[in-house]
Amino acid sequence: MIRIGSMLGDITRSLFRRPFTERYPFVVKPAPERTRGELLWESSKCTGCMLCVRDCPADAISVTVLDRAAKKFIFRYRTDRCIYCGQCVVSCKPGALSMSPAKWHFASTSKESFSIVHGEVPQQPASPPEK
Amino acid sequence: MSVLLVIVTYLIFPGGLFVIVGSLAYEYADRKLIARFQNRVGPRWFQPLADLVKLLVKEEIVPAGVNRGLFIWLPAVALAAALAAAVYVPMAGLAPAWSFPGDVVCTVYLLMMMTLCIGLAGANTSDRFSIIGAVRALTQLFSYEAPFLLALLGPAVVSGSWRIAQINGYAQDHLWMIVTQPLGFLVALLGLMGKLELSPFDAPEAETEIVSGALTEYSGRGLAFFRLGRDIELFVGLTLIASFYLGGLANPLQFLVKTLALLFVTAGLQSLFARLRIDQTVGLWWRIGAILGLGQLLILIALKTAGVPL
Amino acid sequence: MIPETVTRALQPAGIRVIEAGDNNLKADVDAPSLPRVVTALKEARWGYLSAITGLDRTQLEAAAGDTETLARSFDVLYHFCRGASVLTIRVTVPRENPVLPSISGVLPSAVLQERELSETFGIEITNMPAHGRLLLSDDWPAGLYPMRKEHTPDFIHQKISELPHTEPSALPEEGPGKFVIPIGPQHPALKEPAHFELAVDGEIVTDVSLRLGYVHRGIEKAAESRTWIQSVYLVERICGICSHIHATAFVLGVEKLAGVSAPPRAQAIRTLFAEMERIHSHLLWLGVAAHQAGFDTLFMFSWRDRETIMDLLDQVSGNRVNYSVNVPGGVKYDIDQPRSDAIRRGMDALEPRIYHYLEIVTRDESFLRRTRGVGVFPRDQADSLGVVGPTARASGVLRDLRVESPYIAYGDFPVRPVYDDGCDLAARFVVRIKELFESCRLVRAILDALPSGDLRVDVPRRIPEGEAISRVEAPRGELFYYLRSAGGINPDRVKVRTPSLANWAYVLSVAVGLKLADIPMVIVGIDPCFSCNDRMTVLRPDGSRESVSWEQLVPPGAGRAGGCPE
Repeated sequence: MIRIGSMLGDITRSLFRRPFTERYPFVVKPAPERTRGELLWESSKCTGCMLCVRDCPADAISVTVLDRAAKKFIFRYRTDRCIYCGQCVVSCKPGALSMSPAKWHFASTSKESFSIVHGEVPQQPASPPEK
Repeated sequence: MSVLLVIVTYLIFPGGLFVIVGSLAYEYADRKLIARFQNRVGPRWFQPLADLVKLLVKEEIVPAGVNRGLFIWLPAVALAAALAAAVYVPMAGLAPAWSFPGDVVCTVYLLMMMTLCIGLAGANTSDRFSIIGAVRALTQLFSYEAPFLLALLGPAVVSGSWRIAQINGYAQDHLWMIVTQPLGFLVALLGLMGKLELSPFDAPEAETEIVSGALTEYSGRGLAFFRLGRDIELFVGLTLIASFYLGGLANPLQFLVKTLALLFVTAGLQSLFARLRIDQTVGLWWRIGAILGLGQLLILIALKTAGVPL
Repeated sequence: MIPETVTRALQPAGIRVIEAGDNNLKADVDAPSLPRVVTALKEARWGYLSAITGLDRTQLEAAAGDTETLARSFDVLYHFCRGASVLTIRVTVPRENPVLPSISGVLPSAVLQERELSETFGIEITNMPAHGRLLLSDDWPAGLYPMRKEHTPDFIHQKISELPHTEPSALPEEGPGKFVIPIGPQHPALKEPAHFELAVDGEIVTDVSLRLGYVHRGIEKAAESRTWIQSVYLVERICGICSHIHATAFVLGVEKLAGVSAPPRAQAIRTLFAEMERIHSHLLWLGVAAHQAGFDTLFMFSWRDRETIMDLLDQVSGNRVNYSVNVPGGVKYDIDQPRSDAIRRGMDALEPRIYHYLEIVTRDESFLRRTRGVGVFPRDQADSLGVVGPTARASGVLRDLRVESPYIAYGDFPVRPVYDDGCDLAARFVVRIKELFESCRLVRAILDALPSGDLRVDVPRRIPEGEAISRVEAPRGELFYYLRSAGGINPDRVKVRTPSLANWAYVLSVAVGLKLADIPMVIVGIDPCFSCNDRMTVLRPDGSRESVSWEQLVPPGAGRAGGCPE
């Protein structure tokens, strides 16, 4: 072991290797399978129990029950509040929630994109025609 | 020489503009090499130019409590000294733009101006980091300057002249002095690193201890000049050492190859060591550096008097 | 086991001793007798003061319908620890007149904890040296005690918004011969804000003072308004590098309160993550320490290798930092065969690199010149000052909670603790790198013998009333958690005492006489986690401000909820 310049081997070897740096965003490697990205919600499995809302540490989920039997809910998810902890996924007994490894870059210039709403707000009845 | 030739020689090529562009290119090469040694990507080719332009367009903030004239003029003096030193060395492998007997000493002093200016600039402020940085810079100056000068005198003694142009010529005709004076070469190269405050001799600007050392308060134009001055000194210093120890610079190709080789070695040395504390630097230079430098000189004088052809 | 000597020492003081079993002893003491009891303990030479917890009993009393002697009061708990045993002395003070005698005359180290207590609860502690604010900022309104239950977050917000703007304080007065270098709150040397004032004479440091608390976030108070499950994620974010161990300590406490224990597979997975986190933390520290020494090449290479472990953690849990593996009752993520193989491959890749770093750190001349003989801290001083973690083990003090008091799966996968007698900075490097080897070995051992079974058991959302203490070995040392439940869905009290605070005493004690360039190295040698600390203004006795000498900064000081943002 050299006592002076002990990293000589490292630096000479690095000259002949590719740099370790990933040149994001020109090179984007896929995230591992379990990466906790965007929260996905399957309305067919949801029972409206609201455990996800209660257990979320960041108050990022809100569920409005329109018709429990017909499985009509409005599920609102705030990506800017979410801390991507995955507790809601575990709390949901029917397994309606999962986190997608595909989408995890939410940076945006407008705040509207941070609020993801699933489900339809019921339409207002049409206004009476003009006379 | 005609006036036009003078202007071109001093301001464009091989002085002035060429030196500035060349030194930016060498800074890029240095940073890129260090990055590759560390398994990183490193900056792109225009990074040093971009840094320079960015600094030049930024506001220069003059802190309270400093001597305003000194604060503004010291960087300019440092840059001027570095540019002036470039006039005497065989830049780009061509003959030095100006040459007179004893110009090797003159060049060394011009190169030293930079460090003096940094020391003064640091002492000029009331910022604690700057003061400590200035003290360290000047302490380091006292420790490596003498061995460095001795190392440069070795080739002068052997070639029997104090003119860089003649030493350059002598080096071209004889065996490379790196072979005949290896100790001198080592001291000269490390001395150059000390002068430029390159790692491991970067105690005067230890980022993790004293922010930026003497240059902490500088921003904008002043910082740009100091940084450019430092790059130019790297360029000039490498030229000088290559010309003395690596068999002279006869043409631009030799210039390029030899100075880049030296830069490669310098970059490697920068990556290999932890930063030395200022007392360790001084101890190292005054004990080992001075002894090696003196020893080399004495050996040379002895050999020369004995008539051994070198 | 708590020895007879201790119980006998407590008898003459005439106090009620309650054996709580399982290495826990509790004693109720009345306020006037406290100094006497602590003196008796000190003479019995057992244990060290680990933490002082304040409790506001309002919710407990409301839940119990209790209106007699314990009504309207504060409890102050003094925790003395040794190995696996914990002795908790409880003193009750009435709310209308909360006065306690100080024990800093007997145990000088307690002074920081007492200052925190008096500041956050408004308990007046008599016989203490004059002092300023410790945790809270200088312009915090008087009479506002954040940890009292009636001072709710809204009330505190409202009070603060009514504050007038104050000017920042100027630099300290400089006497003759005193040239003060301020380091921080912003400085390239600091990864987190703190404020050091080093008085130097040339390059030699003559005086040092430290002020922390810049990243204080009030996590202990925040935990009281969140549910138990939500609080897991809150405490996880106290620190980025030790997030898993904070969450582990918390859920261990919750499980103790609920009377459940996580299944063996979950405990093993928790241990696996804890060791992988330790690997990550030590590699990170190695890079930072190298950077402080100006050895950027080692910094880049060790952080490159750290990517291996971070990618592994990402693969298994879904995040590189804040793995969020723990839930009360177990873990969320399982290890399947492909991931287990990936972890093994990662360990195979890491071990030769770690060996290479060990060689560099012990052989490279330029590096050794910065670390050999720097910050020497002899064993008896380390023992009495109560430093913890690798800092203590590098001075030969045998303190490792994984060995002394095994938790999660350390009983099944025993740790071979790493000690060194070097006592200097180089020894600390050696200890941490050797711990990397040990952690790699443990990771492999766990993967080889991972027990089968469930990942979690159900834990009710309403945790039964009680109190629990969990002490775990974070990468930096002993982490102490005290949890109290009032039977509801929110914690009644979460007290966190982090390891870095104990180690500051060491820095302040060795700093004087060192060269300026050695100070960042000594600081980084304790692997500081600034956010885990309080403000602590300490000067040598000849300073102009109040002086708390380094002898007084004994064992784990007032733990605060802070954390590394990394």
